[in-house]
Amino acid sequence: MKGPTPRYSALALLRARFKGAGFWMPLWTGRTLKDGYDVVVVGAGGHGLATAFHLVRDHGLKVAVLERRLVGYGNVGRNTTIVRSNYLLPENHYFYEDSLRRWETLSRDLNYNVMYSPRGVVDICLSDGDMIDAARRGNAMRLAGIDSDLMEIDALERFAPELAPRRTRRFPIVGALVQRRGGTVRHDAVAWGYARAATALGTDIIENCDVQGLRTEAGVVTGVETSQGFVRANRVLFATAGHTGMVGKMIGVPLPIETHLLQAMVTEPIKPLINSVLVYVHPGHGETYILQSDRGGVVMGGHLDGFPSYTREGQWHRMEDVVQGAVELLPQVGGLKILRQWAGTNDMTMDGSPIMDRVKYDNVFINAGWCYGGFKTIPASGAACAKLVATGEAADIARGFRLSRFATGHLLDERGGGPFPVRL
Amino acid sequence: MSRLICPFCGPRELREFEFHKTLPNAGESPFERVYLRVDSLTLSVEHWQHVQGCRAWLQIERNPSTGEVLMTRLARSGEAP
Ligand SMILES: Cc1cc2nc3c(=O)[nH]c(=O)nc-3n(C[C@H](O)[C@H](O)[C@H](O)COP(=O)(O)OP(=O)(O)OC[C@H]3O[C@@H](n4cnc5c(N)ncnc54)[C@H](O)[C@@H]3O)c2cc1C
Ligand SMILES: [Zn+2]
Repeated sequence: MKGPTPRYSALALLRARFKGAGFWMPLWTGRTLKDGYDVVVVGAGGHGLATAFHLVRDHGLKVAVLERRLVGYGNVGRNTTIVRSNYLLPENHYFYEDSLRRWETLSRDLNYNVMYSPRGVVDICLSDGDMIDAARRGNAMRLAGIDSDLMEIDALERFAPELAPRRTRRFPIVGALVQRRGGTVRHDAVAWGYARAATALGTDIIENCDVQGLRTEAGVVTGVETSQGFVRANRVLFATAGHTGMVGKMIGVPLPIETHLLQAMVTEPIKPLINSVLVYVHPGHGETYILQSDRGGVVMGGHLDGFPSYTREGQWHRMEDVVQGAVELLPQVGGLKILRQWAGTNDMTMDGSPIMDRVKYDNVFINAGWCYGGFKTIPASGAACAKLVATGEAADIARGFRLSRFATGHLLDERGGGPFPVRL
Repeated sequence: MSRLICPFCGPRELREFEFHKTLPNAGESPFERVYLRVDSLTLSVEHWQHVQGCRAWLQIERNPSTGEVLMTRLARSGEAP
Protein backbone atom coordinates (compact mmCIF):
# COMPACT_ATOMS: atom_id res chain seq x y z
CA MET A 1 0.00 0.00 0.00
CA LYS A 2 1.20 3.50 -0.85
CA GLY A 3 1.23 6.37 1.55
CA PRO A 4 0.86 7.87 3.98
CA THR A 5 -0.25 11.29 2.82
CA PRO A 6 2.47 13.91 3.29
CA ARG A 7 2.11 16.74 5.78
CA TYR A 8 -1.07 18.72 5.29
CA SER A 9 -0.48 22.38 4.52
CA ALA A 10 -1.53 25.14 2.15
CA LEU A 11 1.35 24.09 -0.07
CA ALA A 12 0.13 20.47 -0.12
CA LEU A 13 -3.30 21.68 -1.17
CA LEU A 14 -1.72 23.62 -4.01
CA ARG A 15 0.32 20.59 -5.12
CA ALA A 16 -2.80 18.43 -5.03
CA ARG A 17 -4.48 21.00 -7.27
CA PHE A 18 -1.94 20.20 -9.98
CA LYS A 19 -1.39 16.51 -9.37
CA GLY A 20 -5.08 15.65 -9.06
CA ALA A 21 -6.77 13.37 -6.57
CA GLY A 22 -3.95 10.79 -6.88
CA PHE A 23 -1.88 13.10 -4.69
CA TRP A 24 -3.86 12.02 -1.61
CA MET A 25 -2.68 8.75 -0.14
CA PRO A 26 -4.25 6.51 2.53
CA LEU A 27 -4.34 8.21 5.91
CA TRP A 28 -2.20 5.63 7.58
CA THR A 29 0.03 2.67 6.81
CA GLY A 30 1.60 0.24 9.28
CA ARG A 31 -0.95 -2.51 8.77
CA THR A 32 1.31 -5.58 8.93
CA LEU A 33 1.51 -7.51 12.19
CA LYS A 34 5.04 -8.17 13.45
CA ASP A 35 6.05 -10.90 15.93
CA GLY A 36 6.55 -8.72 18.94
CA TYR A 37 6.34 -5.22 20.38
CA ASP A 38 7.32 -3.23 23.44
CA VAL A 39 3.65 -2.51 24.02
CA VAL A 40 0.51 -4.07 22.61
CA VAL A 41 -2.49 -1.77 22.95
CA VAL A 42 -5.84 -3.56 22.72
CA GLY A 43 -8.57 -1.42 21.15
CA ALA A 44 -8.26 1.24 18.47
CA GLY A 45 -10.68 3.70 20.00
CA GLY A 46 -9.70 7.20 21.00
CA HIS A 47 -7.89 6.14 24.18
CA GLY A 48 -5.94 3.28 22.58
CA LEU A 49 -4.84 5.36 19.62
CA ALA A 50 -3.91 8.43 21.68
CA THR A 51 -1.95 6.30 24.15
CA ALA A 52 -0.13 4.60 21.26
CA PHE A 53 0.75 7.99 19.80
CA HIS A 54 2.23 9.20 23.09
CA LEU A 55 4.02 5.89 23.75
CA VAL A 56 5.92 6.25 20.51
CA ARG A 57 6.33 10.05 20.44
CA ASP A 58 7.14 10.70 24.11
CA HIS A 59 8.75 7.40 25.11
CA GLY A 60 10.17 5.99 21.85
CA LEU A 61 8.55 2.56 22.23
CA LYS A 62 7.57 0.06 19.52
CA VAL A 63 3.79 -0.23 19.64
CA ALA A 64 0.97 -2.14 17.96
CA VAL A 65 -2.72 -1.33 18.33
CA LEU A 66 -4.89 -4.43 17.88
CA GLU A 67 -8.53 -3.80 17.02
CA ARG A 68 -11.19 -6.49 16.75
CA ARG A 69 -13.30 -4.45 14.29
CA LEU A 70 -12.26 -1.28 12.50
CA VAL A 71 -10.65 1.93 13.67
CA GLY A 72 -13.49 4.13 14.91
CA TYR A 73 -16.09 1.35 15.12
CA GLY A 74 -16.48 1.77 18.87
CA ASN A 75 -17.59 4.75 20.93
CA VAL A 76 -15.03 7.11 19.48
CA GLY A 77 -17.21 7.07 16.36
CA ARG A 78 -20.55 6.96 18.19
CA ASN A 79 -20.37 9.77 20.71
CA THR A 80 -21.96 13.20 20.59
CA THR A 81 -18.61 15.03 20.41
CA ILE A 82 -18.97 17.22 23.50
CA VAL A 83 -15.80 18.41 25.25
CA ARG A 84 -15.76 20.32 28.55
CA SER A 85 -14.02 20.44 31.92
CA ASN A 86 -16.89 21.57 34.17
CA TYR A 87 -16.37 18.96 36.89
CA LEU A 88 -16.65 19.48 40.63
CA LEU A 89 -14.00 17.18 42.12
CA PRO A 90 -10.34 18.24 41.89
CA GLU A 91 -9.21 14.76 40.72
CA ASN A 92 -11.58 15.18 37.82
CA HIS A 93 -11.44 18.84 36.93
CA TYR A 94 -7.64 19.10 36.72
CA PHE A 95 -7.56 16.09 34.44
CA TYR A 96 -10.44 17.24 32.22
CA GLU A 97 -8.95 20.71 32.06
CA ASP A 98 -5.60 19.27 30.93
CA SER A 99 -7.57 17.58 28.17
CA LEU A 100 -9.43 20.74 27.17
CA ARG A 101 -6.13 22.61 26.87
CA ARG A 102 -4.82 19.84 24.63
CA TRP A 103 -7.92 20.05 22.41
CA GLU A 104 -7.12 23.71 21.85
CA THR A 105 -3.86 22.84 20.08
CA LEU A 106 -4.50 19.27 18.93
CA SER A 107 -5.11 20.07 15.25
CA ARG A 108 -1.64 21.59 15.10
CA ASP A 109 -0.01 18.84 17.21
CA LEU A 110 -1.40 16.08 14.97
CA ASN A 111 -1.29 18.07 11.71
CA TYR A 112 -4.91 17.02 11.31
CA ASN A 113 -7.98 19.22 11.64
CA VAL A 114 -10.09 17.85 14.51
CA MET A 115 -12.47 20.82 14.27
CA TYR A 116 -12.42 21.91 17.91
CA SER A 117 -15.34 24.30 18.24
CA PRO A 118 -15.45 26.22 21.58
CA ARG A 119 -19.12 27.09 21.27
CA GLY A 120 -19.88 26.89 24.99
CA VAL A 121 -21.52 24.24 27.15
CA VAL A 122 -24.64 25.45 28.95
CA ASP A 123 -25.96 23.58 32.00
CA ILE A 124 -29.49 24.87 32.37
CA CYS A 125 -30.95 25.63 35.82
CA LEU A 126 -34.68 25.49 36.54
CA SER A 127 -34.71 26.45 40.21
CA ASP A 128 -32.82 28.28 42.93
CA GLY A 129 -31.58 24.90 44.10
CA ASP A 130 -30.12 24.22 40.66
CA MET A 131 -28.43 27.64 40.73
CA ILE A 132 -26.88 26.93 44.13
CA ASP A 133 -25.49 23.62 42.84
CA ALA A 134 -24.22 25.34 39.70
CA ALA A 135 -22.55 28.08 41.73
CA ARG A 136 -20.80 25.50 43.88
CA ARG A 137 -19.45 23.64 40.86
CA GLY A 138 -18.59 26.88 39.05
CA ASN A 139 -16.69 28.19 42.08
CA ALA A 140 -14.75 24.94 42.45
CA MET A 141 -13.75 25.25 38.80
CA ARG A 142 -12.74 28.90 39.14
CA LEU A 143 -10.57 28.10 42.15
CA ALA A 144 -8.76 25.63 39.89
CA GLY A 145 -8.27 28.28 37.20
CA ILE A 146 -10.97 26.90 34.90
CA ASP A 147 -13.38 29.26 33.16
CA SER A 148 -17.01 29.16 34.24
CA ASP A 149 -19.80 31.72 34.20
CA LEU A 150 -22.95 31.60 36.25
CA MET A 151 -25.58 33.40 34.17
CA GLU A 152 -29.03 34.55 35.15
CA ILE A 153 -31.79 34.36 32.60
CA ASP A 154 -31.17 37.71 30.84
CA ALA A 155 -27.46 37.07 30.30
CA LEU A 156 -28.25 33.50 29.27
CA GLU A 157 -30.73 34.63 26.63
CA ARG A 158 -28.10 36.91 25.15
CA PHE A 159 -25.67 33.97 25.07
CA ALA A 160 -28.23 31.44 23.79
CA PRO A 161 -31.05 33.37 22.10
CA GLU A 162 -32.59 30.15 20.83
CA LEU A 163 -33.91 29.61 24.37
CA ALA A 164 -36.22 32.66 24.21
CA PRO A 165 -39.37 30.83 22.98
CA ARG A 166 -39.14 28.62 26.08
CA ARG A 167 -39.39 31.56 28.45
CA THR A 168 -43.07 31.55 29.27
CA ARG A 169 -43.49 27.80 29.74
CA ARG A 170 -43.93 25.83 32.92
CA PHE A 171 -40.71 25.34 34.90
CA PRO A 172 -39.10 28.55 33.64
CA ILE A 173 -35.35 28.61 33.14
CA VAL A 174 -33.73 30.75 35.81
CA GLY A 175 -30.12 30.63 34.63
CA ALA A 176 -27.24 28.39 33.70
CA LEU A 177 -23.66 27.46 34.37
CA VAL A 178 -21.74 28.15 31.18
CA GLN A 179 -18.27 27.01 30.21
CA ARG A 180 -17.40 29.04 27.13
CA ARG A 181 -14.30 27.03 26.17
CA GLY A 182 -16.34 23.84 26.18
CA GLY A 183 -17.87 22.78 22.90
CA THR A 184 -17.45 20.06 20.33
CA VAL A 185 -14.72 18.23 18.40
CA ARG A 186 -15.20 16.16 15.24
CA HIS A 187 -15.12 12.60 16.66
CA ASP A 188 -14.03 10.60 13.58
CA ALA A 189 -11.27 13.11 12.93
CA VAL A 190 -9.86 12.38 16.37
CA ALA A 191 -9.57 8.64 15.62
CA TRP A 192 -8.16 9.23 12.16
CA GLY A 193 -5.81 12.02 13.28
CA TYR A 194 -4.27 9.95 16.07
CA ALA A 195 -4.08 6.85 13.84
CA ARG A 196 -2.28 8.83 11.16
CA ALA A 197 0.11 10.53 13.58
CA ALA A 198 0.94 7.29 15.44
CA THR A 199 1.58 5.24 12.32
CA ALA A 200 3.70 8.03 10.81
CA LEU A 201 6.02 7.44 13.78
CA GLY A 202 6.12 3.67 13.23
CA THR A 203 3.12 2.29 15.14
CA ASP A 204 1.21 -0.62 13.59
CA ILE A 205 -2.58 -0.66 13.66
CA ILE A 206 -4.03 -4.11 12.98
CA GLU A 207 -7.77 -4.23 12.28
CA ASN A 208 -9.94 -7.38 12.51
CA CYS A 209 -7.61 -8.67 15.20
CA ASP A 210 -9.56 -9.90 18.21
CA VAL A 211 -7.56 -10.27 21.41
CA GLN A 212 -8.78 -13.43 23.15
CA GLY A 213 -6.39 -14.05 26.00
CA LEU A 214 -3.07 -13.44 27.70
CA ARG A 215 -0.14 -15.85 27.53
CA THR A 216 1.86 -16.14 30.72
CA GLU A 217 5.16 -17.80 31.55
CA ALA A 218 6.03 -18.22 35.21
CA GLY A 219 3.42 -15.66 36.22
CA VAL A 220 4.62 -13.02 33.76
CA VAL A 221 2.57 -12.01 30.74
CA THR A 222 4.56 -12.56 27.54
CA GLY A 223 1.98 -11.55 24.98
CA VAL A 224 -1.59 -11.85 23.73
CA GLU A 225 -3.45 -14.61 21.91
CA THR A 226 -5.42 -13.13 19.03
CA SER A 227 -7.56 -14.21 16.08
CA GLN A 228 -4.43 -13.62 13.99
CA GLY A 229 -2.13 -15.68 16.21
CA PHE A 230 0.16 -14.98 19.15
CA VAL A 231 1.71 -11.52 19.47
CA ARG A 232 4.67 -11.09 21.82
CA ALA A 233 4.52 -8.04 24.08
CA ASN A 234 6.57 -6.72 26.97
CA ARG A 235 3.55 -4.81 28.18
CA VAL A 236 -0.15 -5.01 27.40
CA LEU A 237 -2.66 -2.16 27.69
CA PHE A 238 -6.40 -2.75 27.46
CA ALA A 239 -8.21 0.34 26.14
CA THR A 240 -11.38 -1.53 25.27
CA ALA A 241 -14.03 0.87 26.62
CA GLY A 242 -17.43 -0.87 26.49
CA HIS A 243 -15.80 -4.31 26.43
CA THR A 244 -13.71 -3.89 29.55
CA GLY A 245 -16.13 -6.05 31.53
CA MET A 246 -15.17 -8.91 29.22
CA VAL A 247 -11.50 -8.11 29.71
CA GLY A 248 -12.05 -8.60 33.43
CA LYS A 249 -13.45 -12.01 32.61
CA MET A 250 -10.55 -12.80 30.24
CA ILE A 251 -7.91 -12.08 32.83
CA GLY A 252 -9.92 -13.42 35.74
CA VAL A 253 -10.44 -10.26 37.80
CA PRO A 254 -13.92 -8.93 38.47
CA LEU A 255 -13.85 -5.17 37.86
CA PRO A 256 -16.02 -2.40 39.32
CA ILE A 257 -17.64 -1.99 35.90
CA GLU A 258 -21.07 -2.61 34.41
CA THR A 259 -21.76 -2.35 30.69
CA HIS A 260 -24.62 -0.02 29.78
CA LEU A 261 -26.02 1.46 26.61
CA LEU A 262 -26.09 5.15 25.82
CA GLN A 263 -27.95 6.26 22.76
CA ALA A 264 -27.96 9.34 20.58
CA MET A 265 -29.90 10.56 17.59
CA VAL A 266 -29.74 13.21 14.88
CA THR A 267 -32.42 15.05 12.93
CA GLU A 268 -32.57 16.24 9.35
CA PRO A 269 -30.26 19.24 8.78
CA ILE A 270 -31.60 22.76 9.30
CA LYS A 271 -30.13 26.26 9.17
CA PRO A 272 -28.07 27.33 12.19
CA LEU A 273 -30.32 27.46 15.25
CA ILE A 274 -28.43 26.18 18.29
CA ASN A 275 -25.22 28.05 19.00
CA SER A 276 -23.90 26.07 21.93
CA VAL A 277 -24.30 22.74 23.71
CA LEU A 278 -27.46 22.82 25.83
CA VAL A 279 -27.76 20.41 28.75
CA TYR A 280 -31.23 20.19 30.21
CA VAL A 281 -32.23 18.05 33.17
CA HIS A 282 -35.99 18.18 33.01
CA PRO A 283 -38.53 17.51 35.72
CA GLY A 284 -40.18 14.20 35.03
CA HIS A 285 -38.35 12.86 32.02
CA GLY A 286 -34.66 12.71 32.77
CA GLU A 287 -32.08 14.48 30.72
CA THR A 288 -31.62 15.85 27.23
CA TYR A 289 -28.51 17.40 25.81
CA ILE A 290 -28.71 18.97 22.43
CA LEU A 291 -26.41 20.59 19.90
CA GLN A 292 -26.27 21.27 16.20
CA SER A 293 -23.68 19.49 14.09
CA ASP A 294 -21.63 21.30 11.47
CA ARG A 295 -23.85 19.74 8.81
CA GLY A 296 -26.93 21.25 10.48
CA GLY A 297 -28.43 18.13 12.07
CA VAL A 298 -29.72 18.51 15.63
CA VAL A 299 -27.86 15.94 17.75
CA MET A 300 -29.50 14.75 20.97
CA GLY A 301 -28.77 12.37 23.78
CA GLY A 302 -29.73 11.76 27.39
CA HIS A 303 -29.54 9.13 30.11
CA LEU A 304 -28.29 5.57 29.86
CA ASP A 305 -30.90 3.00 28.89
CA GLY A 306 -30.66 1.71 32.45
CA PHE A 307 -29.58 -1.94 32.47
CA PRO A 308 -26.56 -3.99 31.31
CA SER A 309 -26.49 -4.59 27.57
CA TYR A 310 -24.16 -5.34 24.70
CA THR A 311 -26.85 -5.06 22.02
CA ARG A 312 -26.04 -1.53 20.81
CA GLU A 313 -29.80 -1.01 20.28
CA GLY A 314 -31.22 1.90 22.23
CA GLN A 315 -34.56 1.47 23.98
CA TRP A 316 -37.55 3.35 22.59
CA HIS A 317 -38.70 4.70 25.95
CA ARG A 318 -35.37 6.41 26.49
CA MET A 319 -35.50 7.88 22.99
CA GLU A 320 -38.95 9.23 23.86
CA ASP A 321 -37.59 10.86 27.04
CA VAL A 322 -34.81 12.55 25.10
CA VAL A 323 -37.14 13.86 22.41
CA GLN A 324 -39.70 15.07 24.96
CA GLY A 325 -36.98 17.03 26.71
CA ALA A 326 -35.74 18.48 23.43
CA VAL A 327 -39.19 19.72 22.42
CA GLU A 328 -39.85 21.08 25.89
CA LEU A 329 -36.60 23.03 25.80
CA LEU A 330 -36.72 24.13 22.17
CA PRO A 331 -40.29 24.03 20.83
CA GLN A 332 -38.78 25.10 17.48
CA VAL A 333 -37.35 21.61 16.86
CA GLY A 334 -40.71 19.85 17.38
CA GLY A 335 -41.41 19.44 13.66
CA LEU A 336 -38.05 17.96 12.71
CA LYS A 337 -37.64 14.39 11.56
CA ILE A 338 -35.11 12.10 13.22
CA LEU A 339 -32.85 10.60 10.58
CA ARG A 340 -30.72 8.23 12.60
CA GLN A 341 -30.54 6.79 16.10
CA TRP A 342 -27.75 4.60 17.47
CA ALA A 343 -26.19 3.38 20.70
CA GLY A 344 -22.81 2.45 22.14
CA THR A 345 -21.76 0.22 25.04
CA ASN A 346 -20.30 2.16 27.94
CA ASP A 347 -17.92 0.96 30.63
CA MET A 348 -19.74 2.36 33.67
CA THR A 349 -17.75 2.35 36.90
CA MET A 350 -19.34 2.27 40.32
CA ASP A 351 -18.41 5.89 41.05
CA GLY A 352 -18.65 7.28 37.52
CA SER A 353 -14.93 8.06 37.28
CA PRO A 354 -12.26 6.32 35.18
CA ILE A 355 -9.64 3.69 35.98
CA MET A 356 -6.06 3.95 34.77
CA ASP A 357 -3.94 1.38 36.52
CA ARG A 358 -2.10 -1.94 36.54
CA VAL A 359 -4.30 -4.95 36.85
CA LYS A 360 -3.33 -8.37 38.22
CA TYR A 361 0.10 -8.50 36.51
CA ASP A 362 3.04 -6.11 36.67
CA ASN A 363 2.98 -5.55 32.92
CA VAL A 364 -0.76 -5.43 32.24
CA PHE A 365 -2.68 -2.15 32.38
CA ILE A 366 -6.21 -0.94 31.80
CA ASN A 367 -7.38 2.45 30.67
CA ALA A 368 -11.13 2.26 31.07
CA GLY A 369 -14.23 3.23 32.98
CA TRP A 370 -14.72 6.39 30.96
CA CYS A 371 -18.45 5.87 31.27
CA TYR A 372 -20.45 8.11 28.96
CA GLY A 373 -17.91 10.93 29.08
CA GLY A 374 -14.61 9.66 27.79
CA PHE A 375 -14.42 11.29 24.42
CA LYS A 376 -13.43 14.63 25.91
CA THR A 377 -10.54 13.10 27.84
CA ILE A 378 -8.82 11.36 24.95
CA PRO A 379 -5.83 13.76 24.63
CA ALA A 380 -5.10 13.89 28.37
CA SER A 381 -5.64 10.18 28.76
CA GLY A 382 -3.24 9.39 25.91
CA ALA A 383 -0.42 11.35 27.51
CA ALA A 384 -1.07 10.18 31.09
CA CYS A 385 -1.61 6.54 30.22
CA ALA A 386 1.52 6.44 28.05
CA LYS A 387 3.49 7.69 31.04
CA LEU A 388 2.02 4.96 33.24
CA VAL A 389 2.69 2.16 30.75
CA ALA A 390 6.15 3.37 29.77
CA THR A 391 7.51 4.22 33.22
CA GLY A 392 5.27 2.29 35.61
CA GLU A 393 4.55 5.56 37.42
CA ALA A 394 1.12 7.20 37.31
CA ALA A 395 1.04 10.71 35.90
CA ASP A 396 0.35 13.30 38.61
CA ILE A 397 -3.02 14.31 37.21
CA ALA A 398 -4.20 10.69 36.99
CA ARG A 399 -3.29 9.55 40.50
CA GLY A 400 -6.91 9.55 41.62
CA PHE A 401 -7.87 7.01 38.97
CA ARG A 402 -6.37 3.94 40.57
CA LEU A 403 -8.29 0.72 40.79
CA SER A 404 -7.69 0.30 44.51
CA ARG A 405 -9.85 3.32 45.35
CA PHE A 406 -12.95 1.13 45.40
CA ALA A 407 -11.43 -1.03 48.10
CA THR A 408 -10.01 1.82 50.16
CA GLY A 409 -13.05 4.10 49.89
CA HIS A 410 -11.33 6.93 48.00
CA LEU A 411 -14.18 7.13 45.51
CA LEU A 412 -14.56 9.90 42.98
CA ASP A 413 -18.33 10.12 43.07
CA GLU A 414 -18.80 13.31 41.05
CA ARG A 415 -22.58 12.90 41.05
CA GLY A 416 -22.87 12.00 44.72
CA GLY A 417 -25.08 9.11 43.70
CA GLY A 418 -23.59 6.11 45.50
CA PRO A 419 -22.34 2.87 44.02
CA PHE A 420 -24.83 2.59 41.16
CA PRO A 421 -23.91 3.43 37.59
CA VAL A 422 -27.49 4.20 36.64
CA ARG A 423 -29.59 5.42 39.57
CA LEU A 424 -31.45 8.34 38.01
CA MET B 1 -36.80 -6.10 24.70
CA SER B 2 -39.44 -3.43 25.23
CA ARG B 3 -41.58 -5.22 27.81
CA LEU B 4 -41.08 -7.38 30.86
CA ILE B 5 -43.61 -9.84 32.21
CA CYS B 6 -44.29 -9.20 35.88
CA PRO B 7 -45.59 -12.34 37.64
CA PHE B 8 -48.29 -10.20 39.28
CA CYS B 9 -49.11 -7.57 36.67
CA GLY B 10 -48.45 -9.37 33.40
CA PRO B 11 -46.63 -7.85 30.42
CA ARG B 12 -45.79 -4.21 31.14
CA GLU B 13 -43.72 -1.54 29.44
CA LEU B 14 -40.04 -1.59 30.26
CA ARG B 15 -40.08 1.93 31.64
CA GLU B 16 -42.14 0.75 34.63
CA PHE B 17 -39.22 -1.37 35.83
CA GLU B 18 -35.93 -0.44 37.42
CA PHE B 19 -32.78 -2.50 37.13
CA HIS B 20 -30.88 -2.86 40.39
CA LYS B 21 -27.87 -5.19 40.21
CA THR B 22 -26.39 -8.22 38.52
CA LEU B 23 -25.79 -11.56 40.28
CA PRO B 24 -23.95 -13.45 41.59
CA ASN B 25 -21.85 -11.27 43.84
CA ALA B 26 -18.15 -11.31 43.03
CA GLY B 27 -17.39 -12.43 46.59
CA GLU B 28 -18.61 -12.25 50.16
CA SER B 29 -16.90 -9.11 51.50
CA PRO B 30 -18.89 -5.85 51.41
CA PHE B 31 -16.38 -4.43 48.91
CA GLU B 32 -16.87 -7.32 46.50
CA ARG B 33 -20.63 -7.29 46.90
CA VAL B 34 -21.07 -3.55 46.46
CA TYR B 35 -18.44 -2.65 43.87
CA LEU B 36 -17.31 -5.62 41.78
CA ARG B 37 -19.26 -7.20 38.95
CA VAL B 38 -19.02 -10.50 37.14
CA ASP B 39 -19.73 -9.68 33.50
CA SER B 40 -21.07 -12.04 30.85
CA LEU B 41 -21.86 -11.74 27.15
CA THR B 42 -24.50 -14.46 27.16
CA LEU B 43 -26.26 -14.65 30.53
CA SER B 44 -27.02 -11.82 32.88
CA VAL B 45 -28.88 -12.67 36.10
CA GLU B 46 -30.35 -9.52 37.57
CA HIS B 47 -32.51 -8.01 40.29
CA TRP B 48 -35.15 -5.61 39.06
CA GLN B 49 -38.07 -3.91 40.77
CA HIS B 50 -41.47 -3.17 39.27
CA VAL B 51 -41.25 0.36 40.69
CA GLN B 52 -44.19 1.83 38.80
CA GLY B 53 -46.40 -1.21 39.29
CA CYS B 54 -46.76 -3.65 42.16
CA ARG B 55 -43.23 -2.81 43.44
CA ALA B 56 -42.30 -6.50 43.62
CA TRP B 57 -38.64 -7.47 43.43
CA LEU B 58 -37.94 -9.70 40.46
CA GLN B 59 -35.13 -11.96 39.42
CA ILE B 60 -34.62 -11.86 35.68
CA GLU B 61 -32.27 -13.72 33.38
CA ARG B 62 -31.40 -12.10 30.08
CA ASN B 63 -28.98 -12.51 27.20
CA PRO B 64 -27.25 -9.11 27.20
CA SER B 65 -25.98 -9.57 23.62
CA THR B 66 -29.44 -10.08 22.11
CA GLY B 67 -31.73 -8.51 24.70
CA GLU B 68 -33.74 -11.74 24.95
CA VAL B 69 -35.42 -12.31 28.34
CA LEU B 70 -34.86 -15.92 29.35
CA MET B 71 -36.61 -16.09 32.72
CA THR B 72 -38.62 -13.85 35.07
CA ARG B 73 -39.72 -14.77 38.58
CA LEU B 74 -40.22 -13.18 41.97
CA ALA B 75 -37.03 -12.78 43.93
CA ARG B 76 -37.08 -15.04 46.96
CA SER B 77 -36.78 -13.67 50.44
CA GLY B 78 -33.15 -13.21 51.35
CA GLU B 79 -32.23 -12.86 47.68
CA ALA B 80 -33.34 -9.32 47.04
CA PRO B 81 -31.14 -6.59 48.47
C1 LIG C 1 -24.03 7.73 22.27
C2 LIG C 1 -22.80 8.16 23.01
C3 LIG C 1 -22.56 9.52 23.21
C4 LIG C 1 -21.41 9.94 23.88
N1 LIG C 1 -21.18 11.28 23.99
C5 LIG C 1 -20.04 11.72 24.55
C6 LIG C 1 -19.75 13.12 24.57
O1 LIG C 1 -20.52 13.94 24.05
N2 LIG C 1 -18.60 13.53 25.17
C7 LIG C 1 -17.73 12.63 25.74
O2 LIG C 1 -16.72 13.07 26.28
N3 LIG C 1 -17.97 11.30 25.71
C8 LIG C 1 -19.10 10.82 25.12
N4 LIG C 1 -19.35 9.47 25.07
C9 LIG C 1 -18.39 8.54 25.69
C10 LIG C 1 -17.20 8.27 24.81
O3 LIG C 1 -17.60 8.01 23.49
C11 LIG C 1 -16.42 7.06 25.36
O4 LIG C 1 -16.19 7.22 26.75
C12 LIG C 1 -15.05 6.90 24.70
O5 LIG C 1 -15.13 7.04 23.29
C13 LIG C 1 -14.49 5.53 25.06
O6 LIG C 1 -13.15 5.40 24.73
P1 LIG C 1 -12.60 4.90 23.30
O7 LIG C 1 -12.77 5.99 22.30
O8 LIG C 1 -11.23 4.45 23.52
O9 LIG C 1 -13.61 3.70 23.01
P2 LIG C 1 -13.93 2.84 21.71
O10 LIG C 1 -13.93 3.68 20.49
O11 LIG C 1 -15.17 2.08 22.01
O12 LIG C 1 -12.68 1.86 21.62
C14 LIG C 1 -12.57 0.59 22.19
C15 LIG C 1 -12.16 -0.36 21.09
O13 LIG C 1 -11.72 -1.58 21.62
C16 LIG C 1 -12.08 -2.60 20.72
N5 LIG C 1 -12.03 -3.88 21.43
C17 LIG C 1 -12.78 -4.27 22.49
N6 LIG C 1 -12.43 -5.50 22.90
C18 LIG C 1 -11.43 -5.91 22.09
C19 LIG C 1 -10.64 -7.11 22.01
N7 LIG C 1 -10.82 -8.13 22.86
N8 LIG C 1 -9.68 -7.19 21.04
C20 LIG C 1 -9.49 -6.17 20.18
N9 LIG C 1 -10.19 -5.02 20.21
C21 LIG C 1 -11.16 -4.89 21.16
C22 LIG C 1 -13.47 -2.20 20.26
O14 LIG C 1 -13.83 -2.83 19.04
C23 LIG C 1 -13.31 -0.68 20.14
O15 LIG C 1 -12.99 -0.25 18.84
C24 LIG C 1 -20.50 9.00 24.40
C25 LIG C 1 -20.74 7.62 24.22
C26 LIG C 1 -21.86 7.20 23.51
C27 LIG C 1 -22.08 5.75 23.29
ZN1 LIG D 1 -45.80 -5.92 38.98
